[in-house]
Amino acid sequence: MAPLKQVVSSEGLFDMLREAMKELPVIAPAERKDQPGFHHFARLQQAEDFVPDYVTTTLPPKKAFFQPSETLFTFTTDQPPALELVSDTEHFVLAGVHPCDLAGLDALDLAYSQPPAEVRWPADRGLATVVGIDCMPDDYCFCSSVGTCLTRQGCDLFLTKVDRGYLAEVYTPAGDTMLAKVRTWEPTEADIRDAEQWRERKVERMTAHLEADPAEIADLLEAGGLAHLWKETAERCYSCGSCNTTCPACFCFDMHDEFDLSLKTGIRRRTWDSCQLLEFALVAGRHNFRQEREQRVRHRWHRKFLYLYRRLGRAYCTGCGRCSRACTADINLVDVTNALIAHARKAADHA
Amino acid sequence: MPSSSKPKAAFFDFACCEGCQLTVLQLEETLLDLLEHVDIVTWREVMTGESESYDVAFCEGSITRERDVERIKKIRETAGILVTLGSCAGIGCHNAVRNKWPVEELLQKVYGTEEVVSDAIPARPITAVVPVDYQVLGCPISLPEFVSVFKHVLTGRKYYPPNQPVCVECKLNDYLCVYEKGMICLGPVTRCGCNAICTSRGDACHGCRGLIENANLNAMVKVFTEMRKLHPIMDAVADRHRPTLEQIRRRFAVYNNWPELKLERGTTHGA
Repeated sequence: MAPLKQVVSSEGLFDMLREAMKELPVIAPAERKDQPGFHHFARLQQAEDFVPDYVTTTLPPKKAFFQPSETLFTFTTDQPPALELVSDTEHFVLAGVHPCDLAGLDALDLAYSQPPAEVRWPADRGLATVVGIDCMPDDYCFCSSVGTCLTRQGCDLFLTKVDRGYLAEVYTPAGDTMLAKVRTWEPTEADIRDAEQWRERKVERMTAHLEADPAEIADLLEAGGLAHLWKETAERCYSCGSCNTTCPACFCFDMHDEFDLSLKTGIRRRTWDSCQLLEFALVAGRHNFRQEREQRVRHRWHRKFLYLYRRLGRAYCTGCGRCSRACTADINLVDVTNALIAHARKAADHA
Repeated sequence: MPSSSKPKAAFFDFACCEGCQLTVLQLEETLLDLLEHVDIVTWREVMTGESESYDVAFCEGSITRERDVERIKKIRETAGILVTLGSCAGIGCHNAVRNKWPVEELLQKVYGTEEVVSDAIPARPITAVVPVDYQVLGCPISLPEFVSVFKHVLTGRKYYPPNQPVCVECKLNDYLCVYEKGMICLGPVTRCGCNAICTSRGDACHGCRGLIENANLNAMVKVFTEMRKLHPIMDAVADRHRPTLEQIRRRFAVYNNWPELKLERGTTHGA
């Protein structure tokens, strides 16, 4: 069923956040204080700090649900140990989420619901009212190649810029409640057309494209014969993990225990991890089953476009371009993927 | 618990600024929690008196003279557990900058004809002289890591110094990449564990904790000197000061001198 649509003015959008902030923390894209022109998801101090037309952020909004490093439970050294779960209980609003990042949250919903299912992720997801907003691409965005341009999953309210403000699509009662705090108008045909044109312009302006769809990429990766490409990419790669730590669809983490100085109590902490790091695949006995950098590079592509595609039915890439923007060695996911597509197709032709 | 049953801890310094032991003092009240577990019997910077007997030795600084070699060997023999503090003790740090010149030439330059130091040797980290049980790297050490290592010592657990690049901690803290500010950063090849303290304050990483295992130095040379297809990030770096290979070497040479760092262009990419 088509969502209820209302128009809210640009000032009305800020009023809506201001109203929400009276009751709840609001996490939204704001300009970084240390570097103007760059944005990050942060708890708003005032509604005016929200930047509705931001291009991207270093970290995706998944950090609002799964902090880069967070405590799972406390323990004691008693026999048996007393464990106490640590959980977030504060409701909040997550505003200004682009469709690719909604797709990222959706991808994590799916991944973390696989057995053994996460307890904490869905609980934390339930604490938020999510307000999506449509965007314009930069040179790194390629959401049209992975089908996430129009994602609305998981959002309560979605906003698209139109001439006289924003067209708001209402998906849930929570979204409706938020919007009901401010004055809205019935959309006119012009509003609907503006929003449609925005979406068309977004696709037209996209300059980065994958030369094959995810289904074909999975087949090409499965066929293999790309060793030289992994080697070339690895020669440039630092294995710094920035591609993973900025990815909205990556969900791997590491866990470790920390004692208090009493040595009688402690916490179990989990921290985002990256398959590009040397010690990611380090196991007992100091054995490492992906010791070589090129093995780790290959694993990243296989994981995103082959293993999870086969297992969960979707590529674990949202087209947000964060990995390429953040790469400290200028490795671009779209360029490498297109190179492998070209090579694999050529190899198939000669076969 | 009677104090006699606690392990005895001692602090020793070799060639360094003594900033790492000063950092430990900055634990302030937390220091009292540490004292619940150990008795400190020697710590020249903090207390009078010393003891010939101790269980855990915390040693900072580099080995720069023959007599230092003898001293650290004696400490090693006495202490059940040897913990190095800081990059001087772990990777040679600034002390090893001088290893580029012969010892005799340096002595002549610094002291002239007067024989002040008769037993100087090329500077080296403690880790190059005796086996070490625990290492806290950094210039200076990071207090949370010191406390963590202290707890590992008390519980008899092995501690592996972090072997991930600083980029990991930058990202996990959601800091903006300093490339975006047009700065050269050694973070992608440098061990973290500092919680990216320099980048958190607007500086770049200077590599004080030494290289990660399997650091891709060839990539660093290429990224900074040869990048053709420029990234907006790289534009910022290139526009302000695209560094020469020599400049990158010098940047590394502030901390990374033991062993001498070979920073060459990859053979496949030519000079």
